Amino acid sequence: MIELSQVSKRFGDETAVDAINLKVAKGKFCALVGTSGCGKSTTLRMINRLIERSSGDIILDGQALEAYDPVKLRRRIGYVIQSTGLFPHWTVARNIGLVPRLLKWPADDIQTRVEELMALLGLPIEEFAHKYPHQLSGGQAQRVGVARALAADPDILLMDEPFGALDPITRIKLQDELASLQGRLHKTVVFVTHDMDEALKLADHLVVMRDGLIVQQGTPLALLQHPKDPFVESLLGGLERGLKQAALTRVKDHMSSLGPTLPSQYRISADFSLRQALSMMLRDHTDRLAVVDQHDVPIGELSLRKIVKEAQLEKGSMREA
Amino acid sequence: MSLLDALPTPKLRRGGYPNAVLVSMSIVMLAVLWGLDAVSVAPNRIVQGTGVGVLGAIGLPGAFLASLLILAIGGLACQPGRTNYAAALGAVVLLLALMPFGLMVASYFLIDPALPQARLGIGASYWLILFILLLCLIELRLRLALTRLLPGLLLAGVGLLWWLCASLWLDDLALVQEFKARDRQFMRAVGQHIVLVGVAVGVSIVLGGLLAMLMRRFKRLQKSAFAVLNFLQTIPSLALFGLLLAPLAWLAANVPVLAQVGVSGIGNTPALIALVAYSLLPMVRNTYIALEQVSPDTLEAATAMGMRRGQQFWQVRLPLALPVLLEGVRITTVQAIGLTAVAALIGAGGLGTFIFQGLGQAAMDMVLLGALPILVLALLVDAALGALAEALRPGGIQ
Repeated sequence: MIELSQVSKRFGDETAVDAINLKVAKGKFCALVGTSGCGKSTTLRMINRLIERSSGDIILDGQALEAYDPVKLRRRIGYVIQSTGLFPHWTVARNIGLVPRLLKWPADDIQTRVEELMALLGLPIEEFAHKYPHQLSGGQAQRVGVARALAADPDILLMDEPFGALDPITRIKLQDELASLQGRLHKTVVFVTHDMDEALKLADHLVVMRDGLIVQQGTPLALLQHPKDPFVESLLGGLERGLKQAALTRVKDHMSSLGPTLPSQYRISADFSLRQALSMMLRDHTDRLAVVDQHDVPIGELSLRKIVKEAQLEKGSMREA
Repeated sequence: MSLLDALPTPKLRRGGYPNAVLVSMSIVMLAVLWGLDAVSVAPNRIVQGTGVGVLGAIGLPGAFLASLLILAIGGLACQPGRTNYAAALGAVVLLLALMPFGLMVASYFLIDPALPQARLGIGASYWLILFILLLCLIELRLRLALTRLLPGLLLAGVGLLWWLCASLWLDDLALVQEFKARDRQFMRAVGQHIVLVGVAVGVSIVLGGLLAMLMRRFKRLQKSAFAVLNFLQTIPSLALFGLLLAPLAWLAANVPVLAQVGVSGIGNTPALIALVAYSLLPMVRNTYIALEQVSPDTLEAATAMGMRRGQQFWQVRLPLALPVLLEGVRITTVQAIGLTAVAALIGAGGLGTFIFQGLGQAAMDMVLLGALPILVLALLVDAALGALAEALRPGGIQ
């Protein structure tokens, strides 16, 4: 668990981070989003003491940050950056084994761990172990970067725009992989990005920052439903907000049971997002879809009118609350 | 890593335009071959020799063969392609290998065995053709995209052949006679030269490294230190030797301990001090730049991974700086090899001795005896350190 209270960072007269409070529960994925220069990276780097804060407290697993030796602290916090920061003069295997080596693990254990991580991140050992970073594509290098951060099995992972420099297709692929990795490993992750879609997709807890302040934080759904001000709303996509929210909900949460009428000829899997369902309705000129399970057997029905009505009800109930 | 590597490697194009470089070099060589003196003949060491053209030196068949080979280089270059370039390379190497035999023929024709003092000098066309052939070799290395190794081996083979010819059959060659007259002295001079350069470069690596580290620690030092080093570099070498003479002589006279360890106004001590002074600037500059150019992202990653300062320096910064750092060592060493020649003037020995003695005696071949090994030494060091730096580039980057 990471807890920041009243944390500020000033560079000279400039205040980069202004008295922020933030709590990241163990095993949760927290995304810091904002325009460039909003202090999100600074916040991240204060956690592993690459930057020392000017005031406030940071508590890590119940202990004040000062109680840790900075070098040892960093060895137990995984860190991934945009340009990967891989060491160009080391092979992939050596890069990944860095932190275990610093921790003086026995050579055999390091070897085993490196192989394990390369398998985990889809890097075939015989193909990649002896390659140098400049021989890798952007996506491969970023995988190595993630593997290196995970090497000593840290509880906490800090990621500073890790996918920022990748092409859209590779980026989405790596986001999916990170999401499934997190589903298995349950690390406490602090993830900095300026890409709201990325944040919405990955985060349990979303933090919007501007000018060194936290404008709003909460679950992605909560922020989408109640953006606090026009800034958060525009960051969340303005008019596209409805679709982004739909992207966070599954078809099966909105389907109704099969009625007496014949199911629609257009089918969609229950695990797809509502956004994909809406897109299909537009494409296929229909307002009804048959929802099927993984064996392509219809299990329910999705109707545009019902979705809209539900959204209205939701809005109404919120107003009351 | 040498100057030549900065040139882009042109792509091979089959049946493209003629290679203008090789064609023009071939034409120039032909003109030089027929227009200038190939060798000179002198009845003794001091008298100026009389020049002899190519026909007089190696006869019509020899001149014909040389012209043919030179034309072949130009002809092959008219239709560029890998095979033709390889053939041209063969012609170049063959010419280089035949050159000492040309001298043998010339000495057979021109030197009267009845005159024991008579000697054969190497003429202008011989030197020029040798020089142009080396340029051809460089051009062909680029065109054929060869590594350093193959041309290096070829040159080593040709050099060995020359050495063999010179020591076995070319007794009449003035250069050989100069060498034979003082072979012990020559070997000692080569040894002295190498030791002087080695010690000077070794000391400047240590001092330069320390100075560069201090500059990184105390940034304010940087400006003044570079100013001083730049200033040292502008003093003419002879003047620096002169400036050191008086204070060192005084020290030797007044501090007996220093005199005992060999400090004196002339000799090795001032030579080494001056050499180190000159070597420091390129050494410090390259070391400093090498250490500073390491990407801050990489270094920050090292910190973030939990490397201590020392680990960061030895495992990341230094290995990444090494190629540029070695470049500094290379520049410094080549420069020191040349400068050490001047050190002969203050009695430090080395190959410069022959240059200045030869100048004093108007014996040009003795000057060559000093100058040629310096050239060879510089080229060897340049190639060796260049190759080392290349080999140390991590994973063959760039």
